[in-house]
Amino acid sequence: MEYDERKKEIRLDKELNNLDNFVLEFTTLLEDYVIVSGYVSILLGRSRATEDIDLLIPKMSYNEFEKLWMQFEKNGFECMNTSKIQGAFKMLNEHAIRFFKKGRPIPNIEFKIIKTDLDRYSFEKKIKVTIKNKSFLISPLELQIAYKLFLATEGTDKDLKVDKDIEDARHLYKLFKEKINKDEFLVFINKLNVKKKLKFLE
Amino acid sequence: MQAEDVKVDLEELKKFKEKNIRERLEFIDFWVEYIKTHSDKEWSKQQNIVIDSQIKD
Repeated sequence: MEYDERKKEIRLDKELNNLDNFVLEFTTLLEDYVIVSGYVSILLGRSRATEDIDLLIPKMSYNEFEKLWMQFEKNGFECMNTSKIQGAFKMLNEHAIRFFKKGRPIPNIEFKIIKTDLDRYSFEKKIKVTIKNKSFLISPLELQIAYKLFLATEGTDKDLKVDKDIEDARHLYKLFKEKINKDEFLVFINKLNVKKKLKFLE
Repeated sequence: MQAEDVKVDLEELKKFKEKNIRERLEFIDFWVEYIKTHSDKEWSKQQNIVIDSQIKD
C-alpha cells in the first residue's frame, strides 16, 4: 500500500472482495462522489464487513437524477425507500436514500446529497484509491479519523467503551500515522471536540 | 438450572469486558503491523475470508 499525500492517491495491489465489487458496480455509474465512514477503513484493510456504504454526491437537478435513476435500474439496483423517481428525488433533498441489488438488501449504498461543510470538505479533498485499473474516491484521512472518534460511544477511563468506530479510527491512524497532515488532523479533533478520545489511537 | 439460580458477578464481568476491549485494540495493532509487513495480495486474502463469508457474490 502506497500513499502519495501530495497527489492524494493511495495505490493498492489487493484482491478485490465481494463488497469492493458491489461498490465499484455502483460508483462506475456516478460522475463524481465521495465515500465516507466505515467502508473507507474496510477498503484500506480493516478486517470487518459492513451492511452499508455511505456515499456523498453533489446536489443535482431532477433531470440529472432521473437519468441516474434509469442507469441504476438498468444495472439492477433498486431503491429501498420508494420505487417512484419523484418521491426518491424529494426524499434525497431531505435525507439519505438507499440502493441495493434487486432482491438483496445487504449490502446497500446510503446515497446522500452534500449538505454540510464537513461533507463539502470530504468531497473537495477526496483521495483516490487505485487498485489495478479500478478506482475509489474516499474522504481525506485526517477528517475520517477524527469523525470516527466523534461517532464513537462516549467512555471514561473508569468505564472504558470501545466500539467499531474507535477501532476504525485506530486502524486508519496506525496505518497512516506518518503520512497524515497532523495540523489538519488536530483542527478536526478540536472542531469535533474529540480530544479526550485521542488516547484510543495510541 | 433455572435463570433465577444463575449468579452474576458484575465486577468480574466488568473486568472481562475491559480485558476484551484491550485485546480488540491489540488485535487492531497486530493487524496493521501485518498489513505493513505483508504484500497487499497476502493481507487482502486474509481480509476477504471475513468479508466474502458475510457478503455473497
